[in-house]
Amino acid sequence: MSATASRDAAIALAIVVVFGSVAMLVAGVSPLDGFAALLIGALGSSQEIAETLVATTSLLFPALGVTLAFRAGLFNIGAEGQLIAGGLVAGLLGERLAGPAIVAIPLLLAAGALGGGVWGALAGLLRARFAANEVIATLMLNIIAALLAGYLIGGHETTPLPPSSWLPALIPDTRLTIALLLALALAFVLRWVLRATVIGYELRAAGDAPETARRAGIDLAKTAFWTMAASGAFAGLGGATIVTGVLHRFNLALSPGYGFIAIAVALVGELDPLLVTVAAFVFGILQNGAIGMQAAANVPRDVVTAIEGAIILVLSGRRAFKR
Amino acid sequence: MIDFVWLTLIKATPVIYAALGGVLSERSGVINIGLEGMIAIGAFTGVCVSYATGNAQAGAAAGVLAGALLGALLGIAATRFRVEQIVAGTGINLIALGGAAYGLVVVFGQPGASKQVAALGTGGETAMVVAALVLAVLLHLFLFRTRGGLHVRACGENPRAAEVAGIDPLRVRLWATATGGAFAALGGVFLAMAELDLYSDGMSAGRGFIALAAVIFGRWNPLGATGAALFFGAFSALQYTLQRSGIPSELMQALPYVAALVALAGFAGRARAPAADGIPYVPVR
Repeated sequence: MSATASRDAAIALAIVVVFGSVAMLVAGVSPLDGFAALLIGALGSSQEIAETLVATTSLLFPALGVTLAFRAGLFNIGAEGQLIAGGLVAGLLGERLAGPAIVAIPLLLAAGALGGGVWGALAGLLRARFAANEVIATLMLNIIAALLAGYLIGGHETTPLPPSSWLPALIPDTRLTIALLLALALAFVLRWVLRATVIGYELRAAGDAPETARRAGIDLAKTAFWTMAASGAFAGLGGATIVTGVLHRFNLALSPGYGFIAIAVALVGELDPLLVTVAAFVFGILQNGAIGMQAAANVPRDVVTAIEGAIILVLSGRRAFKR
Repeated sequence: MIDFVWLTLIKATPVIYAALGGVLSERSGVINIGLEGMIAIGAFTGVCVSYATGNAQAGAAAGVLAGALLGALLGIAATRFRVEQIVAGTGINLIALGGAAYGLVVVFGQPGASKQVAALGTGGETAMVVAALVLAVLLHLFLFRTRGGLHVRACGENPRAAEVAGIDPLRVRLWATATGGAFAALGGVFLAMAELDLYSDGMSAGRGFIALAAVIFGRWNPLGATGAALFFGAFSALQYTLQRSGIPSELMQALPYVAALVALAGFAGRARAPAADGIPYVPVR
């Protein structure tokens, strides 16, 4: 682990401890009790560890997408909408599809990746074709995705998927599925693509020194389009694994803001896919532990969202963005 | 028709306040993605202080102050720490929205929405609608007709030249961003304490993001941004007018955001941001 990355991790940990303690004291709870409840809620039993890994998985997909976009100098703030789009496509297709698992599952995951990819590509198209700011575009697309989904599912949820379309469980009687292995594999693939392929080199060049990259013959518009599409596909695939592996249907409770928290995950992981994976586990602990903390110690779980925001704010000045 | 115009004004007002905040900070060189959070924190703080004191005016003032502080936080990050402003603003939004959701439970003992509090009433609502338009004119005059406004614009276009001319770009950017946060918070105060009399989770509902789009369509110009906000306000108002027509409500709600996206595509090539917008400045001295 690089020195910068471990310093970032230390900063993030300090924010969690300081902000968390203050929030617990304000809510009338001793920080010791609060953090104990959080850790027990996240890691206290094999069931809870499995749920923490479920949150880790759901965060890792969009975080890898954000990592990819940020490395190319594109501020994809739209992972949330891309995750919803992917989940929506998987859910709508899944409720109509009855077939053997070996066909249904890959098809639904691919459909989810495609849904998220198209949603990301929309922002990429606006940027590549019309020079429109991808930040505003992705922010708008987040809201539109949620409203469109609400309309297409009639305000509630899709009908449940047939069990043949469910992702196989990794640990019996938990919601942890092979989606975790898929996410881990993708992290390794992304690392390899960024480090050892021409595409990865062009992508990093476009992010680090766009003017130089352009002069060297890299088509910046094309790179932006395909990067946004791929980034969205990661998030969309994440949405599809939540639909096929966790909820077995699509509804709008699919994401408690995974697409935004993914930005914090990517930053703490220094935009390095393997460190991002470690960061996703730590944020999985926070996400799942918050539920236990609210139940056992009466600290509102939303404080975790604010803490994650503080981590993003503090790390937004770190090395990853120094050009 | 009068109803539609009034509804347009009501729907546009919070966006106008936030967009004016965005214009001011971007003219100084700081992009404020955190407008959404500043709307939310203004609304939430206003409601809390009104609840505690029973005084709606005190609540409104506190809401504005909270927005200014959150703006100052972004301003310090952008000047002193030279952060990537878009990412920092996203963090600000999560702090505000998560903090307000947490605060609801701590202050009111219930998630989702606050209790009803003393609000500004119909008179206050009308006053704030008019005040938004007046503020737009005043900000326009300030930016383009005063020395102070020239300083702000200089910092957004060429901070080095501004510094050579004796202006402190970091100081100007910090003040512009803090004041912009106060403006956005006024939008939140309007939502929670003039249109309604309570805070509910997700109340800002993307208005801060619409405001960012309005800044671009208004070409970083207070009157232009106000015009764009009114345009989006009309789409929101249309939603109520067309409610009886059988068009699904989700699609109607999506209208202003789709309009913003289409306008963004059609407009982007022709709009030019302040040259140093979003670029951290390293002082010579």
